[in-house]
Amino acid sequence: MPRTRTRRSRSLRLAAVATGSVLLAAAATGCNAAAKDDAADGGSKGGGASFTLVTPDPVGQNEFLKLAVDGVKAAAKTHDGTQKVYQSSDSASQQQNVQAAVDAAPDVVVLVGFEFADLVAQQAEAHPKQQFLMVDACTTKTYANVSCAVFREHEGVYLAGAEAGLLSGSGKVGAVVVLDTGQFRRYSDPFAAGAKEAAPKTSASTRFVGGQSPFDDSARAKEQANSLLAKGTDQVMAAAAAGNYGVFEAAEAKGAYAYGVDVNQCTSAPGTVVDNVIKKTDVAVQEGIGQVLDGKGGKTVSYGLKEGGISLTGLEDGVESSKCVIAEHEDVLKKVEALRDRIVSGELTVDDPAAK
Amino acid sequence: MFFDSDLLMSALRALTPILLAALGGALCERAGVFNIGLEGMMLMGCFTAVATSWFTGSPWLGVLAAALAAAAYSLILAVGSVTLRGDAVVLGIAMNLLAVGLTSFLLRTVFGVQGTFDDPSLAGLPLVGGFSPLAYLAWAAVGVSALLLSRHVWGLRLRGVGEAPEAAATLGVSPARYKYAAVLLSGVLCGLAGAQLALGNVTLFSENMTAGRGWIAVVAVMLGRALPLGVLLAALLFGLAEAAGFRLQGLGMPQQATDAAPYVVTLVALFLSTAQRRRRAARTRPSTTGVTS
Repeated sequence: MPRTRTRRSRSLRLAAVATGSVLLAAAATGCNAAAKDDAADGGSKGGGASFTLVTPDPVGQNEFLKLAVDGVKAAAKTHDGTQKVYQSSDSASQQQNVQAAVDAAPDVVVLVGFEFADLVAQQAEAHPKQQFLMVDACTTKTYANVSCAVFREHEGVYLAGAEAGLLSGSGKVGAVVVLDTGQFRRYSDPFAAGAKEAAPKTSASTRFVGGQSPFDDSARAKEQANSLLAKGTDQVMAAAAAGNYGVFEAAEAKGAYAYGVDVNQCTSAPGTVVDNVIKKTDVAVQEGIGQVLDGKGGKTVSYGLKEGGISLTGLEDGVESSKCVIAEHEDVLKKVEALRDRIVSGELTVDDPAAK
Repeated sequence: MFFDSDLLMSALRALTPILLAALGGALCERAGVFNIGLEGMMLMGCFTAVATSWFTGSPWLGVLAAALAAAAYSLILAVGSVTLRGDAVVLGIAMNLLAVGLTSFLLRTVFGVQGTFDDPSLAGLPLVGGFSPLAYLAWAAVGVSALLLSRHVWGLRLRGVGEAPEAAATLGVSPARYKYAAVLLSGVLCGLAGAQLALGNVTLFSENMTAGRGWIAVVAVMLGRALPLGVLLAALLFGLAEAAGFRLQGLGMPQQATDAAPYVVTLVALFLSTAQRRRRAARTRPSTTGVTS
């Protein structure tokens, strides 16, 4: 191959860059396909029911997935059975892990995350006797052997919004959210609605992180938060994955307040994070498995405030030691509890942006 | 008001890491090494900066370590493309992929966490007049590299090596040595860019946190035709487009549209600058072909 380094060849090289990076990326995921099945046997005694949990990402310090693991372990204990956890690292290993789980034919295969929707649909059709439980997402078509547990995050976000409305000094609240989709708008629109319910004069605005890698880009999320804070916003809902830390930093620097998601994030910025909208994956996994074993599979169960699947750190036990700002505002918590009770009783319904 | 000091500050903050990396890219381009490994070198800088600052408690040591680590990482490109005559494009892509995997792996082994390492006691860079000291360094680096390339004998030789390596070699200038220097310098600058991103723009490390900034720097090098001032203007254009995009969201423009803003700006700038270059070339051609002196 001739090696000429001329200026003219640059456009060609650029084209090579583009195709090359795509090919290499594909090859890289292909290599990883040698799956990382961190099979963790829960117990050696057989006879009882068996459950396999497949995660979309490595569990590690991912609090959300840790809760799912807790749920499966608790279910194994309750039903005197065994459990296994298959951790995936990319889409190829997700596919392999689901296949491996189905091949072993446990009583229930539990899958967490929207990543599995298509895979589960295929497998459920191919293996009609295998029971599946999907958590935090569902297949587009319904199957008799697929049960789903989904969350009504918007109810929790509404309560966080009410806290923000009550705590805001400027009357301006905002949200920094990963992407502008119905599912993610569950973290912005209800936040504004809750704030307006608690303090009618509140105004609200939203920034979406977007960009090349919206889930990783904390510097970009921080600038988005800054653009809200520059306009006088003093309460910011953060639903930006890794970007949340950027939002917390921005709020801390300006003396403003932020709200976290999924788990207790107050510890990453004590004095800045007011409260968190928490998603109890363990409850959903445990109850979902129970329903399947009772022969009530094939249904979609929605978890919100009423079912105890969604909550705020401030409404849970141990709020005093949570490092959350809300622990110092008992009066606000009282009002939020009253609001929660109205939602639980069905007197008040929170609009779901994902349903539009 | 749409254009105010907050918008400008936001743009300048977004600009700093891109500018530092792009200056490194420009030096390589001038020395005849097409460096697209900026993203990977920057990411190595991010991780080293955070890890060093965490274990020593000094963000300055973090900056220093980031520059050294990224320079060491850039040896892959230097050895691979200059000594072993490999394809710089392939090497650059490999470096970018390796950096994502390596830093994620190190994050797990060193800190025992996945995704993001963030601790309230992690020391970041102090702010001087609203900016991190590295921002001022980036501005100074524009001037220094512009002077170096246009006035200093070292810079002139570097350009000579890039444009006509054989001619440079006959004059006793070692192309390999200058190319190594350019690549290592780009490593140092990308390391600083990474330190600025991880200890200046934010104070944390998250996997793949460079999020395409290295690629934007590559485009800035091309758009600015590898001239330090041109690169500065290109990077400034990106910074402004991004900050304005955030602002436009507040005025109701959808995120998908504002996301495209920096790229639309790039395309327009690319068309305009190419058209201008064509016109200039058309104007000068008759005189150069007519007179041969």
